[in-house]
Amino acid sequence: MTPSPLVLDGLMVGGMLFALGLVGILARRNLIVMFLSAELMLQGVSVSLVSWSRHHGDWGGHVLVIFVLTVAACEAAVALVFVLQAFARSGRLDSAAWQSLRESNLSRTVDHELPAVDAVAPVFPRLTPAGVAPHVAEDANLEREHV
Amino acid sequence: MLELDPTTLLVLVPALPLAGALLTVLLGRRLGSGAHWPAVVSIAAAAVAAVTLLVGLAGDVSEKASRVQPAPPVEMITTLWQWATVADAYAPAAGSPAAAGEDLAARSAGLPAALPFSIGIDLRLDPLTATMLAVITCVGLLVAIYSIGYMHDDPGYPRFFALVAAFVFSMAMLVAASNFLLVYVFWEAVGACSYLLIGFWFQRPTAAAAAKKAFLVNRVGDFGLAVAVFLLWMTYGTLNFHDTTLADGSLMPGILGAERLGAAAGIVGGTVGTAICLLLLLAACGKSAQLPLHVWLPDAMEGPTPASALIHAATMVTAGVYLVARCAPLYVACPAALTTVSIVGATTALVAALIGTVQNDLKRVLAYSTISQLGYMFASLGTGTLLGFTAAIFHLVTHAFFKALLFLGAGSVMHSMGGVIDMRRFGGLRRIMPITAATFLIGSLALAGVAPFAGFFSKDEILAALHSRGWTHHAAEHHDAEVHEGHAGGELPSVPEARPAIYRTESGPLIQFASAGDGEPEAETSAGTFRLLYWMSLFTAALTAFYTFRAVFMTFTGPTRVPEEAGHHAHESPRVMTIPLVILAVAATVSGWLLFSTEALSRFLAATPSLAAPAVAATATPHAFHLDLAIQGTLAAAVGILIAAIGYLGRSSDGPQPERFLGPLEGLFANRFYLDELYTALIVRPLEFFGLLAAGFDRYVIDGLVNLVACVPLAIGAVVRRLQSGLLQRYAVAGVMGTLLVVLALAWQLRG
Amino acid sequence: MSPGEGLSMTGSILAVAVGCAAASLWLLLPRGEGGVRERMARRFGTLLGCVSLALFIATGHRLGGVGEEAVFLVVALVAVISGAATIVTRSPVYSAIWFALALAGVAGVLLVLGAQFLGVATIVVYAGAILVMFLFVLMLAQPSGMAPYDRVSNEPLLSAVAGAVLLGLLTLFIGRLSAGPADCCAVPSKATALGSEGAQDSAVADAPSADPLAANHVARLGGELFGRHLLAVEAAGVLLLVALIGSIAIVSRTPPEERVELARRADA
Repeated sequence: MTPSPLVLDGLMVGGMLFALGLVGILARRNLIVMFLSAELMLQGVSVSLVSWSRHHGDWGGHVLVIFVLTVAACEAAVALVFVLQAFARSGRLDSAAWQSLRESNLSRTVDHELPAVDAVAPVFPRLTPAGVAPHVAEDANLEREHV
Repeated sequence: MLELDPTTLLVLVPALPLAGALLTVLLGRRLGSGAHWPAVVSIAAAAVAAVTLLVGLAGDVSEKASRVQPAPPVEMITTLWQWATVADAYAPAAGSPAAAGEDLAARSAGLPAALPFSIGIDLRLDPLTATMLAVITCVGLLVAIYSIGYMHDDPGYPRFFALVAAFVFSMAMLVAASNFLLVYVFWEAVGACSYLLIGFWFQRPTAAAAAKKAFLVNRVGDFGLAVAVFLLWMTYGTLNFHDTTLADGSLMPGILGAERLGAAAGIVGGTVGTAICLLLLLAACGKSAQLPLHVWLPDAMEGPTPASALIHAATMVTAGVYLVARCAPLYVACPAALTTVSIVGATTALVAALIGTVQNDLKRVLAYSTISQLGYMFASLGTGTLLGFTAAIFHLVTHAFFKALLFLGAGSVMHSMGGVIDMRRFGGLRRIMPITAATFLIGSLALAGVAPFAGFFSKDEILAALHSRGWTHHAAEHHDAEVHEGHAGGELPSVPEARPAIYRTESGPLIQFASAGDGEPEAETSAGTFRLLYWMSLFTAALTAFYTFRAVFMTFTGPTRVPEEAGHHAHESPRVMTIPLVILAVAATVSGWLLFSTEALSRFLAATPSLAAPAVAATATPHAFHLDLAIQGTLAAAVGILIAAIGYLGRSSDGPQPERFLGPLEGLFANRFYLDELYTALIVRPLEFFGLLAAGFDRYVIDGLVNLVACVPLAIGAVVRRLQSGLLQRYAVAGVMGTLLVVLALAWQLRG
Repeated sequence: MSPGEGLSMTGSILAVAVGCAAASLWLLLPRGEGGVRERMARRFGTLLGCVSLALFIATGHRLGGVGEEAVFLVVALVAVISGAATIVTRSPVYSAIWFALALAGVAGVLLVLGAQFLGVATIVVYAGAILVMFLFVLMLAQPSGMAPYDRVSNEPLLSAVAGAVLLGLLTLFIGRLSAGPADCCAVPSKATALGSEGAQDSAVADAPSADPLAANHVARLGGELFGRHLLAVEAAGVLLLVALIGSIAIVSRTPPEERVELARRADA
C-alpha cells in the first residue's frame, strides 16, 4: 500500500530535521548547541513516528512520541546538570576541552588563531525605572527616523 | 560388634588412609604437634582391615586346599563405579595379534564384533593382593609410629604424615587394582608420593636434585608401562585382569581372568607377548631400581629415613616384583622374557652388592642392599616356576620386615648422631644405643641369610628356584616332559622353524617356546644360563653378608666415638621409635621360619589366579627343604661375615680401610661402576646440547618471527594512533561516516 | 514518463540537491573566518540552502492542492529553516531562540498530520520547559562575549557531507516508498506488511488521505495511553522521578556529611 502524499511529506520533514540535528551534533562545539541539535533529531523522529502512525491508522506512534517527550525531559534535566558540572571544571562549554582519551604521546589539539571579530558593542535598550518621570533631554529628538 | 563383609574391608583398606591424608591436609596446621593422629589412626585401622582380610582369605584357602589339591584359584572383584565406557571401541581386526592366534580367533568368534572400552574402579582380592596389602599397611603403620619420634619438631610435620597416608592409599590401590589402567594410575601415584617424600626437605639442593632424578628415571620405566598397556589393549581388547560380563550377557575374558587362563592359547606369546613382557619389565626395572634404571634409589636416601624405610625399601620398590608376579602367565608364555628377568635380577644383585661393599654412608649401604635384594627377587621371578614366583613374594615379605627394620635402625642412629650418617665418623654405638644395636644386628642376620632368621629361608627358596632351573633333574624334567607329551600328542601344527609356535599339551595348559623344533637345545642353553645365575647369586649372598656386617661392625663395635654434631645428648632413641624396631625385629626373626615350615605362604599364594593358571601351576614342585642349598648359602654367609669380622670387628671405623686391598676395583665400586658418569655422558650431555640448540633456535628464529609479526601492527599503530585525538566529536564523525557507508552499501545491494 | 526514466531523473535532481545541501551547510557552519569572507560565505550558503530545499521539494513533487498541503508546506519550511538556523547560528542564545521557532514549525507539522495533542504538548513541554532550562544554563555558564569555540566547528566539511548524504539516502528511500512495493524491496515491504494488519486498513485504502485517528482524537489517545500502555506510563513516571533525584545528587557537590555539619552549625 502506497503511503499518502501527506505521510511521505511528513517523513521527509522528519528526515530533514534529523539530518540537520546530526550535522549540528557533529559540527558544533558548544555543548548547549550540541544539545539543541540532539533535541532537533528527536523532533525529526517524532514527526516520522506521527507520520507512520497516520499511515497505519495506529496509536502506537503517538504513544511513542509521548514517551519520547518524557524521556527527552529527563535527559535534558540530567544532561544539563552534566553540562554545568563540565563547565564548573573546565570554565568552558567547549566539547574539545575534554581530550584525555587521546594517545598518551599526542599533544593536545588546539584551535588555530582566530581573526579578530569586528568588535561592535551590542546596544541594549535602556528601560525607564518604574514610578519615576522619565528625564528627557531638552535637545533629544523624540521622533523616530524611520516610520 | 560391627559385622564387616570382605568387600567393605577391601574398600576400607585404601579408603581409610586416603581419608587420613585428606584430614591431615585439611587440619594439619591446627593439629600442630598432634598432626600424626589422622594418619596413624587411619593406617592402623587399614592394617587391622588388611590383616582381617588376609586371615579370612587364608582360612578359606587352606580349608579348600585340604580337600582338593592344589587349592582352586580364589578371587573377589568389587567394582566401585564405572570410570569410563566407550562402546564399540575395539574391533579385533584381521591380522592383528589378537586374531593371529587361531585359538584366540576362535574364542573371539563368540564375542560381539566390537568390544567396549570399559574401565571401572575395580578392586580385587586374592592371596597375592591380600599379602601385599597386609605387608604395606603393617610396615606403613610401624613406620608411621616411628616417624612420630623421628620427625617431631620438623616444620613439615603434617605434610610428612599426609604424604605417608597418601602413599599407603596409592600403594594399596596399586596392589588391589584389577585392571591395567588403574595399575598405571596408581603406579604414577606412588611415584608422585615417592618424589614428594624424597624431596621432603626441598630446601636442600641435593634433596631436590635427588627427587628430580628419581622422577625422571622412573619416567623411563613408566613409559614402558604405558606402551605395555597400549599393547595389551591392542592385543586383548580389554585391560581388565578379571572376566567381565558385557551388557548383552556375553562373557568378556579378562587378561588374567579364569576364562583366558583356563583356555588353551588364551595368552598371546611370540613377538608381541615378548614385547609386552619386556616393556612391563622395563616398568618394573624403573620402579624397583633394577639395572640399568637403579641409579635413582641410592640418591633417594636424601629423603627422611622413615620414608626411605617405607617407600624405598619395604613397599614401593617391590611394586615391580608385584607386577611381574601378577603377570606371571604372560611371562610364562614368553621364555625369552623370563630369562631376561632373571639375568637382569641376578646382575643387579651382584653389581649392587659389589658397590655396597665400599659405601661409607650407612643409608647408602642399605640402599644398595635393597637394590641387591630386589635383584634376588627378580632372579627368582625369572625362573618362571611356581616356586620362583612364591619365593620372590616370600622374600618380598621377609625383606619388607628386615629392611624396614634396618632402615629404621639406621634412622635411629642418625637421629641420635645429630644427622650424621657417615660410618667413619662414629663407632661403638652399642654402648649408647643398646636396643638399636640389638635390633640392627637381628636385621643384619636376617639380611645376611643366617639361620634361623627370616632372610635365610626366603633366600634359600630363591636359590632353590634358580637351582631347579640350572640342574634340570628336579623340576625342569617334569617341565620338559609335559612339552614332549604335547609333542607326542600330535596336536602340534606344522609351523615354519623361525616362527614362534603356539600349541597345547594334552592336559590343556599352554606352553610356548621360541621354536618348536629345538625345545631341548633351548632348555639346555637356559639351564646353562641359570647355572651361572645360581653361582652369581651365591656369590652375592656372600657379598651381602660381608657388607651388612661391615656396616654393623663399623657402627656398633670398636671404641665409642660420637661426631660433634650429636653434642652431648647422644642417647638411645625415644620409645616411640624403639618399639617399632622391636616389633620388626620379632617379625624379622620368626616370619621366615613360620612361613616356611608351615608352607602357609606358598600354598596361599598358589591360590592366586595368576599363579594358579595351568601354565604356572604345572611347574609346581613338592615342598622341600634343600639341605645342600642351605649349606651352600650358610657357608657363603659365614664366609662374608668372617671376612667382615677380620676387617672391621673391634676396629675404630676411621682407621685405614681394609677395602684398599681391592686396588683399582675399589675405585670402580666406590664410583658405582661409573654408571652415573656413563649416563651423564651418553644421555644428559647430548640432551643438554640439543636443549641448547633448541633454546637458540627458539630465541633467535621463533622469537624473531614472532617479533616480526608483532612489528607489523606496531608500525601500523604508530601511524593510526594519530587519529586517536581524544576529541569525541571526531570519533562521532567517524562513526556516522562508517554507518553511512554501510547503509550506502546496503542501498546499492537493494537498488532493485 | 516511464518509472525508470523518472527514477534516474529524480536521482540526478537528488544528487544535485544533496551536493547543494552539503555545500550550503559547510558554508553556513562557523569556520572561524570572520569579516567579509564570512559574510559572503553565509550569503552564498543561504542561497545554496534555498536551492537545495527547493530541489528536495521538487523530488517530492507531491504538493498538489492548496489548503491542507499549503499549510503543511509553510510549517514544514518554518521547521526546516529554523532547524538549519539553529545549528549554524554562532551565538548559542540565538540558537536556542531559533530552536524555539523550529519547535513551533514542528508543532504545526504535527497538527497538520493530525496529532493535535502532540503538537500542543511539544510546544508546552519543549518551548515552555526544556528551552527555558537551556536558557537558564546559558545564563549560568556562557561567558560574556563570543566564545572562540562558538566561532569554529569540528570537521565542518565532513559533518556537512555526512548530513547531506544521510538526507539523500532518506529521500531516496522515501521516494521508493511512493513508487510502491513492486519497485523496492526491504523497507516498503515491511511497511505494507505492517499496514496490511487490522480492520482499519481497508478504510485507509478506500480514502488514502483520510485520517482514521481524527475522530474524538484526544479522548482516544488518552484511552490508549492509560489502557494498553498504563505500565509504560508508570515506568515513565518513575523515570522522571529518578532523573530528578539524579540531577540533584549530581549537582550538589558538598558531601552529605558536610551538609549535615553545615545544617548543625546553622541550628546552633
